[in-house]
Amino acid sequence: MKLSRSWLQDYVDLAGISDDDISRAITFLGFEVEQVIRTGAPAFNNVVVGHILTRDKHPNADKLSVCTVDVGFAHGGVRTIVCGAPNCDTGNRVPVALPGAILPGDFVIKEATVRGQPSSGMMCSAKELTLAEDAAGLLLLSGSPEIGAPISSVLPAGDVVFDIEITPNRPDALSHLGVARELAAWFKKELHYPAVSFTPASISANPRPDLLTSVRVLADTDCPLYTATVVTGVTIKPSPDWMQQRLAAAGLRPINNVVDIGNYVMLEYGQPVHAFDATKLANGEIIVRHATEGEKITTLDKKERTLSAGMLVIADAQHPVVIAGIMGSADSGVSADTLDLVLEVAFFKRQSVRATGKRLGLGSDSSYRYERGVDVHSLDEAAHRFIDLILAHAGGAVAGPIHRVGSTIPWEREITVTPGYINEKLGFEIPAAEMRAALESLELVVTREEPTEKRGPAWTFSIPSWRDDLDRPIDLVEEVVRLYGTEKIPVSVITAPGLVGNDDPIVLFNRKVADALVGQGFNECVNYTLRAGQEIAAWTTPAHVESLALANPFVEDQSHLRPTLVSGLLESLKLNQSRGVTASRFFETGRVFLERNGQLSECVAAAFILAEETGERSWRPREAADFYTAKHHAETIAAIAGIELGRQPTALVAAPAHGWQTGHAAVAGDIKHGWTATFGLVDLAHLKALGITGKVYAGFFAIVSEKVTADADRRSFKPFSLQPAALRDLAVVVPATTSASEVQKAIAKHARAAAGTAFALESVDIFDVYTGKGVPEGQQSLAYALTFRASDRTLNDDEVNAAFTKVQTDLTAAGYQIRK
Amino acid sequence: MQDQLAALLAKAAAELPAVATRPDFEAAKARFVGPNGELTALMKQMGSVPKEQKPVVGKLVNEAKTALQAHLDAALSRLEVGEIAARLGPAVDPTLPSPDRAPGTFHPLTLVREEMTRILRKVGFTVVEGPEVETEYYCFDALNTPSDHPARDAQDTFYLPESARFGNVSKKSPHEKYLLRTHTSSVQIRTLLKGQPPIRIVSPGRVYRRDTTDATHSANFHQLECLYVDKNVTVRDLKALLDYIFASLLGKDTKTRFRPHYFGYTEPSFEVDLSATHLPKVNKPWIEIGGCGMVDPIVFKDVGYDPEVWSGYAFGMGLERLAMLLYGIDDIRTFYQNDARFLRQFA
Repeated sequence: MKLSRSWLQDYVDLAGISDDDISRAITFLGFEVEQVIRTGAPAFNNVVVGHILTRDKHPNADKLSVCTVDVGFAHGGVRTIVCGAPNCDTGNRVPVALPGAILPGDFVIKEATVRGQPSSGMMCSAKELTLAEDAAGLLLLSGSPEIGAPISSVLPAGDVVFDIEITPNRPDALSHLGVARELAAWFKKELHYPAVSFTPASISANPRPDLLTSVRVLADTDCPLYTATVVTGVTIKPSPDWMQQRLAAAGLRPINNVVDIGNYVMLEYGQPVHAFDATKLANGEIIVRHATEGEKITTLDKKERTLSAGMLVIADAQHPVVIAGIMGSADSGVSADTLDLVLEVAFFKRQSVRATGKRLGLGSDSSYRYERGVDVHSLDEAAHRFIDLILAHAGGAVAGPIHRVGSTIPWEREITVTPGYINEKLGFEIPAAEMRAALESLELVVTREEPTEKRGPAWTFSIPSWRDDLDRPIDLVEEVVRLYGTEKIPVSVITAPGLVGNDDPIVLFNRKVADALVGQGFNECVNYTLRAGQEIAAWTTPAHVESLALANPFVEDQSHLRPTLVSGLLESLKLNQSRGVTASRFFETGRVFLERNGQLSECVAAAFILAEETGERSWRPREAADFYTAKHHAETIAAIAGIELGRQPTALVAAPAHGWQTGHAAVAGDIKHGWTATFGLVDLAHLKALGITGKVYAGFFAIVSEKVTADADRRSFKPFSLQPAALRDLAVVVPATTSASEVQKAIAKHARAAAGTAFALESVDIFDVYTGKGVPEGQQSLAYALTFRASDRTLNDDEVNAAFTKVQTDLTAAGYQIRK
Repeated sequence: MQDQLAALLAKAAAELPAVATRPDFEAAKARFVGPNGELTALMKQMGSVPKEQKPVVGKLVNEAKTALQAHLDAALSRLEVGEIAARLGPAVDPTLPSPDRAPGTFHPLTLVREEMTRILRKVGFTVVEGPEVETEYYCFDALNTPSDHPARDAQDTFYLPESARFGNVSKKSPHEKYLLRTHTSSVQIRTLLKGQPPIRIVSPGRVYRRDTTDATHSANFHQLECLYVDKNVTVRDLKALLDYIFASLLGKDTKTRFRPHYFGYTEPSFEVDLSATHLPKVNKPWIEIGGCGMVDPIVFKDVGYDPEVWSGYAFGMGLERLAMLLYGIDDIRTFYQNDARFLRQFA
């Protein structure tokens, strides 16, 4: 909201207080100052009207003139002034800054000598007085102003506009009077209300029932109070200059006296008002009612709007003339030939105005105030002020009594508070007298005072009707600290009693994953959670995509929750590739949304990608990443979540592979049971479609958020044998489709059985996978190292050989072909 | 005999330094000291030496044998040095860059989050998490944001369709809608409902606003929120927390100030400004950094805490904004593009 300093001055004496201090006051009262705008001429001392008597060329400078200027007897009469302006012609009246004047920019005017010629002051341009950007010449004063008169009395008065943001809890401050009240409290000044002379008793002219036959309110819930006053015989003309200037300062365009006065009252009291041309009301009727579905109105902005049932309107006998509290119709308003007015001042429920405005996508200065809440108890005063100003500046007379439909519940609110309570909440002491004075300066009145044992006097304050936000003792704590000054809150050392819990397991998971992957050369990314439906369609089922759609997306490419982190990482890779930036390893941790038992589950996830095509060339190339590199990193992530991926059933991704390359990507776990991991090659066709060059390996791990656990249980030590191990190698020829883990399990089973209780099979580790010469087509040879060990002795060859032979016999019996 | 020994030594001294390979060495060794070697042959002549001369000649033979062995040892170690050199190849160029991958990097938002949580942990704050999909109760109702509040408009908040079902985001009432949380304050409510006071938590996390993306706005961004609930928590304590946080983060000469403000869930409420030297691209004396206040009694009542007994404060701020200030980043979108040249700058 824009506030004019000169306007505020009507209600609180701010003379002698700098703009900066006012700005600071507004800030620390809790209203953010967005901008301070200066308009017109600032106040000048020692700048007066001068009359140029003579002009001579400067003897020593081509472009300068030496003038004699009459600045008035009081300022030393005729002075000699050197001037560089082209228009310092004899006979002109111009502003003269006398020695001692201080011009904007702290430019001090002194007696001077310019190129050998004495100069006693300076004639000023509009720019030097900050009236304009232009400095082409002296500011010529028209209309022969009195010589020697202070320039401030001649130039249009300057003003300062504070553009401030009013928090939603303070609708009372959406007016000059409201902010003046705050400033009066801050600067400990008196608040002066406008002098309102109109009273209902002062109505003298004859009633004109022909102009306003009836006022009916058919929707009293949404409009608890409606007043209408007929004023006859007005003259429509421009409003007075001072009013136009104030409205312009506040950001409103002056229209005519009646419209301007309406806006003026709104900006003064915060109460929106409206003026009708009385003759344009069909049948002289005002009906406050709900619109019927489909009813139409063309509003002031020349747009036809279709109303819905339930929207509150002011209608005449035929059709709506105002959307209540929001905007009037184009044809019911005041025009140049209007003679008779109906002045409306009403109270509309905030919910009603808000709902209608929202549905129509229509707002105004009026609806802004209604939506935040106007003070119904100040309505009559604003109405009287409205009438006063109309009579003063548009003429005419009030015809008949004010139509007043509805009523208000008398306002009554009290809050009891003690200084002790306030100090307890603040944690520092403010003297009781200062607290009381602060609250009283906001027009809170002490109605009762009772002593308490420890907390000082219990004051019962009556709360003014415009401060609906004050409801509880804690609300008064804020008022006290606001006026005391938040900058005075004392500095102290933080107290931290021993109160240390464990960080959330999810936090630990994310932190550890990041540590591990950063250690492996991955760059951490942060991608948007909201993705395009088309993008995620590549990564999951159509039903899942549908369930991830937002009800109200803002833009098309951010319409769905993400089911994976991989698509975002690919986007990052693509960006780097297209910018020619060499980088191949990216990861991200974050939330994803997966389907689980027919519902969505928010899951904690981590993913990485490894691009084969790094764009880098190395003087000594290292081995390229492959499926097993991805598997390794997936295992690392799963291990952080307490899952040993290598021991989990792992299978190739089944078709449809949803973003992964069939035959080259694997899946373990199932989100149904709490977690899932997918890793391997990203679908090459998908990469091509994305415009990514080279192969990309990726891994994705997700776990339902509530299943992320803190550190695993502490493990107990398992003793190990200090005896030497016995090693045997065994190769098995199996079909190429047989999985290594299946063979490994079979060997382990038989070897464990062969070792029996005499000694132990320690491990079975694959060390070779071979196809080619010596192995039939379609078959592969898998070679395993078997390690046996006893806990109490060195194994002898005979017992190991016996066991090893038995393993081979048993495997052969089980259908495995041993490769000799 | 004496002459023969001398000749043998001279021959060894001349030949052995020229031996270049192990087979040559072995052959030379056999030639000199092997069973059929020259020294052995000479030693065999000892029998024909007169008895009285035997001690003298024996001594000479031993001396020759020692000297010969020294020549052989020298040749062998020379060979070994050569062999090691051959195995190692030429000296490395220590100025060549390592072809191995450089370490990865943490995202600046992670760095800022971790730095903040480290600072807060020192004064007893525990890091907590909460769901990003929330319900109206946790995001608004419980935080004293009534249903006709503008913040709840579909204009400003992303909602999920009525048909959406989440298995692990609990609803307070069956009819409330799911939404994407607009602030991390929802975690306050979940923590208050779950925990036993005193409570001292910090919840960093991702939040969502239905807003046009530009240099300072993003559809999702990150906040960090502190909540402390205990007996006798005061405005002064809150100010002490803010002073501590920013002095830890930006140095002892950092100042904070409170400006009264309005939030539905705190009373009194303040906006927090900070003033610090050496922040890049900052040319204002005070920069707005977050909002805070004393937990409103309504919030306590709603989660079943007696506001006569419990008091508390809350503080929240945007992590992107903080990172932008700390690193001098001027466009929030940079965080979400993941250009590796950006990512590599901070860690």
